[in-house]
Amino acid sequence: MAELRTATGAWDELLDADGQPRPAAATLVQQLRELGLAELQERQDLAELDILAMGITFTVYSDGRGIDRAWPFDILPRVIAADEWRRIERGLVQRLTAINRFIDDIYHDQRIIADGVFPAELLEHSVNFRRECMGVSPKFGVWAHISGSDLVRDADGTMYVLEDNLRVPSGVSYVLENRAISKRAFADIFARQSILPVDAYTDELNRMLASLAPDGIDDPTIAVLTPGIFNSAYFEHSFLAQRTGAALVEGADLVVGDDDCVYMRTIGGLERVHVIYRRVDDLFIDPEVFRPDSTLGVAGLMRAWRAGNVAIANAPGAGVADDKVVYAWVPEIIRYYLREEPLLPNVPTYRCVYPDERQYVIDHIAELVVKPANESGGAGLLIGDRATRDELDAHIALIEADPRNWVAQPILSLSTVPTLCDGEIQPRHVDLRPFILSGRTSYVSAGGLTRVALRSGSLVVNSSQGGGSKDTWIVET
Amino acid sequence: MLLSRVADNLYWGARYLERAEDTARLVRSFTEVIIDLPVGLTSSWEPLLAVAGSRAEFEAAHPAVREADVVRFLIADPQNGGSVVASVAGARENLRTTREVLPRDAWQTVNDLYLYTNSNAEAGVERRSRARFLSRVVADCQRLDGVMSASMSRDEAYEMWRLGQAVERADMTTRVVGVRAAALLALPAERDDHDEVQWMGLLRSLSALQMYQRATRGPIEGASAVRFLLLDQQFPRSVASCVNRIRLALERLPQASHTLPGVDALDLLLHELAAADATDGEALDTAMDRVQAALAALNDRVTGTFVRGAG
Repeated sequence: MAELRTATGAWDELLDADGQPRPAAATLVQQLRELGLAELQERQDLAELDILAMGITFTVYSDGRGIDRAWPFDILPRVIAADEWRRIERGLVQRLTAINRFIDDIYHDQRIIADGVFPAELLEHSVNFRRECMGVSPKFGVWAHISGSDLVRDADGTMYVLEDNLRVPSGVSYVLENRAISKRAFADIFARQSILPVDAYTDELNRMLASLAPDGIDDPTIAVLTPGIFNSAYFEHSFLAQRTGAALVEGADLVVGDDDCVYMRTIGGLERVHVIYRRVDDLFIDPEVFRPDSTLGVAGLMRAWRAGNVAIANAPGAGVADDKVVYAWVPEIIRYYLREEPLLPNVPTYRCVYPDERQYVIDHIAELVVKPANESGGAGLLIGDRATRDELDAHIALIEADPRNWVAQPILSLSTVPTLCDGEIQPRHVDLRPFILSGRTSYVSAGGLTRVALRSGSLVVNSSQGGGSKDTWIVET
Repeated sequence: MLLSRVADNLYWGARYLERAEDTARLVRSFTEVIIDLPVGLTSSWEPLLAVAGSRAEFEAAHPAVREADVVRFLIADPQNGGSVVASVAGARENLRTTREVLPRDAWQTVNDLYLYTNSNAEAGVERRSRARFLSRVVADCQRLDGVMSASMSRDEAYEMWRLGQAVERADMTTRVVGVRAAALLALPAERDDHDEVQWMGLLRSLSALQMYQRATRGPIEGASAVRFLLLDQQFPRSVASCVNRIRLALERLPQASHTLPGVDALDLLLHELAAADATDGEALDTAMDRVQAALAALNDRVTGTFVRGAG
């Protein structure tokens, strides 16, 4: 019999406070207990062999070299009840609809600023605001076509949106791969219950990308633009190209002609590209407009985009709303554009740009998570109750030097899921990244990427810092 | 709509993998021949280096030609670009950047082979486990070929792969003929019983022994073996068959008018060979050098047209 435990002070996704299985996880928990630890460990080992054989990898940097590492995966899944998931889905669609309206407004009339809802000075200091995008009107008014909002669940069971990733969010390929592995590992358990399939994502992605093609193009050529094999997400770029039938291109494979159209270099000569799913950051996509030293982009791409000859997803400039300061305004943004109350709550956020909120952060820094506005991957992040006094003081100095770049939030406990660690099953903290597609209509992946902190007590779930992943089951009850 | 860069990677991925398979087969058959030869008869491992085309590189790093060193150099030395491990790693790296155009099983097969060669190459150096290691390499390469045959559309990517495979295969066959066959033909007239063992080994190194015997229905004879390896229209590793496959691929790929003259040149050489005396070792060696030069010219023409010529 495998023993499943919960951690004190955190919500467990499979078990309630008395250690009893939650309704959606009942079948799973019973099966896990029956299988026993030795059998589970064996299945875990086999899953790791599958991952190695299938070449499911991510790239880490060490000594200036990119190293291809096997993707870390824990076979014990995270379970979400289907009715809860439907509420989350609606909340995410609402959120992204409003965010896209916000981005479109920012690059046109800026009504939200004129109406006094969003402060003009925040925009002036935003590092992700691109003046070059002013006046451009992408199809359907949508800028953030593919986003991956991070969700976390606090000790009382409330699911919060922690951040919105609107630039080049990654991880969706692992959602699909995790499921492939987990179906092998738990074929017997899958047979006993109704778990939502995840494979439709790439079809939906393909359909959405095709819908962005310039008017009059019926059978568009779609390309995934990757920085190349040394990028940490190269596996995913290749995977998505493979699953959507798109060409996987690097900057050097593309050229913008005198007609302001984008072409790729093929063995038969130049061929027009209509839609680019770019996995290269804004600042690198066009050396004519942004960083002139970039070799990852294509000279003239912005020209072609502004002329409406190519669609770019996500649109350049979409990152203006992917900022931990703007994040704090998302509830107001939803109310302003949609006249609705937010369905998914934000984590309460203190904005250091305001003197009173800043003072609160400085006074209570040991109880807060302090985050820079524009970093991803956990860099510059400070968890107050785990820092030394010197570290706290160092961060206070940083905040005072550049208040606009800092926000702070209460320390959430992050929910846990039983996880195989060192030959035992132990509770480990998780978050969840669903992927939202926005075009003419919206689509949310069935579940998302559950990332898990593999060290006891740790809240760091990033794979680049020792985090792992789990399959996410949306279970009909 | 095959990207030039992807086409180049496919072409080289195929060449690397074919090289790995051919080198494995070469070392395996050479080992078998040496085991068959009487203990007293000195036989050198030098010809193996000559066929692999890496004698100079080997000699730069090794003072003497010893079996373990030669075999390690050819199968397990990552510094030797033509070794089995380096070829497999090269193939994997090229396929890693072309996964989106290949059947998923193709990538997994190469990845499997890579994981295997990476951790077992040293076992291939030991005589007692060498055949097992090399046979696994050959079998995995053939498995990949099967995956491509059975599950890949006959699109540009497929033809690019077959093109690279055929070019590398033709290259290997001409090297075996140019070095080994030429040397055997040049031996003094008084032949001993071991001559046949050597010819058998040579044919086996190209997986040609059985098909040669079926085609000729007689004892093994040097001149006819050479003609078989160069000109047979049915055996897939003969130079003529490889050239036919190259032509087919280029006809199906774009810009054939730019690339096909390279194949015409090869056909012309084969035509001359068909009329020539196949028992003159020295002439054969020279002729193979010319075929190799024509293959290299074709390689440049293909790269020039598909990779550098675009845009």
